[in-house]
Amino acid sequence: MFHRFLLSTVLGGVLAAALVAAGGGVSQAQTSPAKKWTVPRTPDGQPDLQGFWNNTTYTPLQRPNGVNKEYYTAEEAVEMIKRAAADEAEQTVPGTVEDVHYDFTQFGLDRSQAPLAQNLRTSLIVDPADGKLPPLTEEGRRRQRARAEARKRAGGPTDAVQNQSLSVRCILMDRNGPPMLAGAYNNNYQIVQAPGYVMILVEMLHGPRIIPIDGRAQLPPAIRQLEGSSRGRWDGDTLVVETTNFTDATGFQGSSENMRLTERFTRVDAETMLYRFTVDDPSTWTRPWSAEVPWRKAVGPLFEHACHEGNYGLYNTLAGARAQDKREAEASASKPSNERSDP
Amino acid sequence: MRTTFAAAIAGAAILVAAAPTRAHHAFSAEFDISKPLKLQGTLRKWEMINPHSWFHVDVKMPDGTVVPWLIEGGSPNQLIRLGVTKNTLTMGTEFIIEGYQARDGTNKAVGRNFQFADGRTLFLGGSAPGATGADKP
Repeated sequence: MFHRFLLSTVLGGVLAAALVAAGGGVSQAQTSPAKKWTVPRTPDGQPDLQGFWNNTTYTPLQRPNGVNKEYYTAEEAVEMIKRAAADEAEQTVPGTVEDVHYDFTQFGLDRSQAPLAQNLRTSLIVDPADGKLPPLTEEGRRRQRARAEARKRAGGPTDAVQNQSLSVRCILMDRNGPPMLAGAYNNNYQIVQAPGYVMILVEMLHGPRIIPIDGRAQLPPAIRQLEGSSRGRWDGDTLVVETTNFTDATGFQGSSENMRLTERFTRVDAETMLYRFTVDDPSTWTRPWSAEVPWRKAVGPLFEHACHEGNYGLYNTLAGARAQDKREAEASASKPSNERSDP
Repeated sequence: MRTTFAAAIAGAAILVAAAPTRAHHAFSAEFDISKPLKLQGTLRKWEMINPHSWFHVDVKMPDGTVVPWLIEGGSPNQLIRLGVTKNTLTMGTEFIIEGYQARDGTNKAVGRNFQFADGRTLFLGGSAPGATGADKP
């Protein structure tokens, strides 16, 4: 019942606006800007990227099988978004794994209720031209197998809290990256610029990326961090951020700790910033690859996301596993006596 | 109520973007798919916390005793952005909640669907049904 309401209101309203806007959308702004737009400046003369941004998208990282073009038409893009939004609002079937969840729409968390930049691309990956991740190198494949075996040796996901992912443990999420990619919801950021620094506050998990832009060297190679070591510089009106010094624990799409990530932040109009990143990791992929996603201006402020403090779900998950262990141990303990009573 | 919606899309083959991970942890690891439940109770407290909010609901049993339950809902940040506050839902509001009980057997559940006693579905989101201030209890 209510999903029809959603289609007629949310999609009819928000997405109809997207349809209108999509005709003059980001892809055109990127390739052939119809009108000159000047990037505003901070008082000290830097391109001004400050403000609140949101990178919610319906576009997948890799181009879906069966799609053989770089861009949808505006009409196709709107149909794709409508269908994805309908799928997201769709009610799941009771008794299925997918149904064990709260309803996103009841909490305003479905993507159709987020600011959405127009994007006609069929994949976030723009290079290689087929929109797919390049093939893994032999070393990349070996590492993938080794990581899978290490996970197996560590036991099941509920055998130890360390076996839960970094995001479940509220340590690092994909919105933070880098590279910074949207999750299901709360894809909000605030950029603040000060002399020598750019700070990007990530709402989820409320972590600031503090990026020096004063020309200093990267951290020494022996110092590795989950988010790597980032250094920025201006290339015209584009903020370029190089990040190295990753750890083996982050592994973006299977990357190694030697990944060199280059992010480029370019404002293309008053409402849109183009975020493009290039992953260079010869020990994992046979060639570098790049992706881009438009960020849309959003309304602030950001709100606190004290994930760890309120992470009852992690406790409940482990408590549920221990309760299951206890039930199985009791069943196993009672089994021998049953066997003895058997004729 | 929970029907499957099949969008009828005309035109060229347009593949739907894969939905991102629906939440930051596997809810089926926290809650038991074999323990669906339906509760009726009154709201005592709403913890608007992250990563997920929690509704404290008092459930009155047939013998008159009151049993407290904790019901998990969504992250509150988008709701706060849309103007929802901890005062938006009046304490004492009666809810009918369908969901699944926690795997550890305690009185916790995920709230699959929140309904008011008069049958309206709880929608706190900005552009969702029932989201306007006038529709809120």
